Amino acid sequence: MNCESSRHLLPLYFDGELDPAASRAFESHLDGCAACRQALHELETLRARLRDPAARFAAPAALRARLAATAPARPRMRNRPWLALAASWLAAAAVGAGSAGLWQDRQHAVQAQAQLTRDLFAGHWRALAAASPVDVVSTDRHTVKPWFAGKVAESPPVHDFAAQGFPLAGGRIDYAGSARVPVLVYRHGGHLIDVFVLASADPGLPRQAQMRGYGLRTLALGHATAAVVSDMDEAELDRFAQLLAQGETAAPAR
Amino acid sequence: MDATDPRGLVGELALRQLDAAYNLARWLLGNDADAGDAVHDAFVRALQSAHTYAGGNARAWWLTIVRHCCFARLKERSDGRRFVAIDQLAADLGEAAVQRILPKSAADGPEQGAASAQERARLHRQLHELPPEYREVLVLREIEELSYREIAEMLSIPIGTVMSRLSRGRERLLHALRADAARSGERP
Repeated sequence: MNCESSRHLLPLYFDGELDPAASRAFESHLDGCAACRQALHELETLRARLRDPAARFAAPAALRARLAATAPARPRMRNRPWLALAASWLAAAAVGAGSAGLWQDRQHAVQAQAQLTRDLFAGHWRALAAASPVDVVSTDRHTVKPWFAGKVAESPPVHDFAAQGFPLAGGRIDYAGSARVPVLVYRHGGHLIDVFVLASADPGLPRQAQMRGYGLRTLALGHATAAVVSDMDEAELDRFAQLLAQGETAAPAR
Repeated sequence: MDATDPRGLVGELALRQLDAAYNLARWLLGNDADAGDAVHDAFVRALQSAHTYAGGNARAWWLTIVRHCCFARLKERSDGRRFVAIDQLAADLGEAAVQRILPKSAADGPEQGAASAQERARLHRQLHELPPEYREVLVLREIEELSYREIAEMLSIPIGTVMSRLSRGRERLLHALRADAARSGERP
């Protein structure tokens, strides 16, 4: 790949719009091309400046109050239409992924998987709608980990990725099916990231899923499984999942 | 789907994405009063057409309505001024500067806060001065983090056009920022 042909790929790479194979090819070009690295750096700097939260216009409180007052009754805890739709989507995705025969055989497994996936998305949405998405607010992992002790069978390993742009915001307890699971909450810019730590090594979750602009990534975390749910874009979700997986091997929790 | 009022869901969605809506409207219209009115219009219209929402990306659906209301308002504006008024900008900057300085610790000198405010002022000014078609895709992609496909659907343009507008917009903004920095004597 020469610089000319890769130059038009640069924004696509930067915006997370390349497929994994093309991304890798571009990265190998990037390793040897200072000009492209410089161009990429410029784009990153520009984005960081534009994404500065103080640079974004927030809706005035008066406007928010006015609209909230005119909004029809909000089906707060009755999220059924969302859930029903979500379930139908997952079922549709599963049908699309395999043959119809396979679908018959695996129907039960798929239903269980859909149920769990749905629980995780619903948990994330509930947390977003709640007054606070965390039960314990802390950017210090040494506070968050002990907080879980006694509330769940096993405290999850807690890492902070502030240096990589994903600071720890705190933790909470949520439900996946009937199990109480610890949830680590991170922030990335204006996004909230939930990491559900499931005790099973194979809870039967898809490796990834999307629902209404929200994404899910599943990864192994020692003998547990981490399910990451957020509305970050796909590329950043992948990057965070990778960090989380590496955090486990590179820096064991103290 | 059961018979729960879809307007409740749409209202909830719109309120959750109110900052995104306001930010888009504010950048498209250039002042607080019009942005607030456009978002209000959009909210009413979204509730009215709640039954037409057929799933898919909810945020893009809502922002599309906001965008339409912004353009309706732009059309109404007879004077057709495109740039933000100086007063309005000064008001923004004052607020931005305050926001910037407030949460900082005492270790940061006032000078650093001033430089940041100045830098933000420059960015705001140059983004405002970009032609609207570039400004719009930059706001949607960089600030609101929509994908190419979402932007293409929102604006009813091909993805290729999204890509070229985004590239051109970034180029122009970077160029303008560099020129601006050079003019004001190499302050960062």
